Amino acid sequence: MTGNRLRAEGLVLTYEDRTVVDGLDLEIPDGQVTVIIGPNACGKSTLLRALGRLLKPRRGSVLLDGTELARIPTKRVAQEIGLLPQTPVPPEGITVSELVTRGRQPHHKWWQQWTEADEKAVTEAMDRTETGDLAERPVDELSGGQRQRAWIAMALAQDTDLLLLDEPTTYLDIAHQVEVLDLVRQLNRERGRTVVVVLHDLNQAARYADHLIAMKAGRIVAQGAPGDVITGDLVQEVFGLASVVVPDPVTGGPLVVPGAPGSTDRSARIGRHG
Amino acid sequence: MTRPVGFAVLRVGRASFLLHRRAALVAVLLGAALALAAVAYLCVGESFVGPAEVVRVLWGQPSPDAFVVGTLRMPRLAVGLLAGAAFGLAGSFVQTVARNPLASPDVIGVTQGAGAATVAAMTFGVAAYDTLPYISIVGGLAAAALVYVFAWRRGLHASRFVLIGIGISVALGSLTQLFLTKGDFLVAQQAKVWLTGSLNGRGYDHAAPLASILLVLTPALLWAARAQRSVSFDDDTATALGVRLGRVRLGLIVLGVVLASVATAAAGPVDFVALLAPQIARRLSRTAQIPLLGSALTGALIVTVADLLARKLFSPIELPVGVFTAVVGAPYLMWLIVRTRSRSGGPA
Ligand SMILES: Nc1ncnc2c1ncn2[C@@H]1O[C@H](COP(=O)(O)OP(=O)(O)O)[C@@H](O)[C@H]1O
Ligand SMILES: [Mg+2]
Repeated sequence: MTGNRLRAEGLVLTYEDRTVVDGLDLEIPDGQVTVIIGPNACGKSTLLRALGRLLKPRRGSVLLDGTELARIPTKRVAQEIGLLPQTPVPPEGITVSELVTRGRQPHHKWWQQWTEADEKAVTEAMDRTETGDLAERPVDELSGGQRQRAWIAMALAQDTDLLLLDEPTTYLDIAHQVEVLDLVRQLNRERGRTVVVVLHDLNQAARYADHLIAMKAGRIVAQGAPGDVITGDLVQEVFGLASVVVPDPVTGGPLVVPGAPGSTDRSARIGRHG
Repeated sequence: MTRPVGFAVLRVGRASFLLHRRAALVAVLLGAALALAAVAYLCVGESFVGPAEVVRVLWGQPSPDAFVVGTLRMPRLAVGLLAGAAFGLAGSFVQTVARNPLASPDVIGVTQGAGAATVAAMTFGVAAYDTLPYISIVGGLAAAALVYVFAWRRGLHASRFVLIGIGISVALGSLTQLFLTKGDFLVAQQAKVWLTGSLNGRGYDHAAPLASILLVLTPALLWAARAQRSVSFDDDTATALGVRLGRVRLGLIVLGVVLASVATAAAGPVDFVALLAPQIARRLSRTAQIPLLGSALTGALIVTVADLLARKLFSPIELPVGVFTAVVGAPYLMWLIVRTRSRSGGPA
């Protein structure tokens, strides 16, 4: 497995004196969708920021094609790795069209601000995310779902082999969540992009991941194919939640149903309190 | 879709540039307004000179008014135009980096630092006249460094930065007063007029250093126009797009401080131009970041019109131009502060 482009070795990630990740080794399989799950504040975003060189490791390193990220020029990294933060902040008053265009920035020379490649990438990104109708609208004025699609379009326009997305479905209703995740998978299948997504919904993770990484308190508890990783024991260990894992009626993959069978009758309990 | 909405594409061979249409139009209109204001400025004074005659002088044709227009009024106009443009640019850089419309060099102590250093040099007579712009730069940079040292705590928190800046600018103002009382009386009088931001008695020897520094900085300004755009996201998004934030921020701040200081040396600390110009330009242009050319033109326009009024409104008494910029600027500053406070939530 040494052929993979993005790896981390002995990663120690801290904010000031607070250690969030302590000695983590990781390899992101090329050409697959990797999903990172774990409870709130376990360090998912922190890890993703390190993989996208937004956070400098205290110790250890992130390697792209065997070279430490810190040694590669920032712009060069941005041509290979795209990253969409959990809560990105747009420039005030920017339109969707201009936002998506900004995704081309790492490819620009100062005297080439709008090439054929730019045009192609921007058009395709807007088509795929169906943001064409929003082109003239200010990003500040969009609904959560529309805004999220605009951001994803920007990340797509960046046209990188590796794409890191931090909870891209957070603000979306269920239909748009599925839409975004389908889009991510499509990108991966059709364009061979390597995608890393942080998700908080276990079942979505199970459904869309080729490779699943379960984290707890800055450590990797388990990783591998969703069917192997997601078990009642794992959900108990990682989230502290009793559950039953059954086959997903749609995909046949694992489906987590919270609760321990027979031990409670939820409606009866609610009834007593009401 | 063939190009981003609201932009035109300029192609020259293999080179291509994106031009924000509205910003370009606004720049042209501002340029026209500035030209008109400049001609009006040259017409008005103790004696009125007709616009046609002014234009003749500008074209270098012989004219009976050549002395009044060309020798008396032109140099003062040149200082006003250049200083206004420099203040506009300086405000644009500092506001961009701080992501705060309140953070302008005249609010956070940079011009006060430049002022204190210049007054010290003037009243104690330690420096030759033509080194004043450089002493001013040193003062401005020192003040900026002071703000930085006090405000930096795991990153630049915008409101702390501005509050500390205001504190430091007040302290530097007092220091300047101290210098004035300690120094030679006549020089102190002169320095006092300078301190209100006055173009009275300014000439080419004030305009020349300003013009040459702006000229030298032109490549840096071209760089800044692009850099300005790239830092308009939050830190993580900007870095993910390949921006070396630390360097870009430092570059923009240094550029802003240098420009504000040089302009201060030439025209005195003309307050509120750096605060107002970038925001006006941005609102007119509706760009996603502060437009550089627009800020420079707006700054130049504000100073030219303000000095025109300062010379004419209460003639024969000529008021310092800073008085007029303050009439507009001070209420705006208060409005900004009130708005910022009510946004961040009152006492809970
Ligand atoms: N900028 C920061 N400064 C200090 N601590 C932070 C910062 N960002 C995150 N943390 C802390 O690091 C831990 C991990 O956070 P994060 O990676 O965002 O978790 P997750 O994305 O898994 O919810 C949390 O305890 C959080 O409070
Ligand atoms: Mg997170």
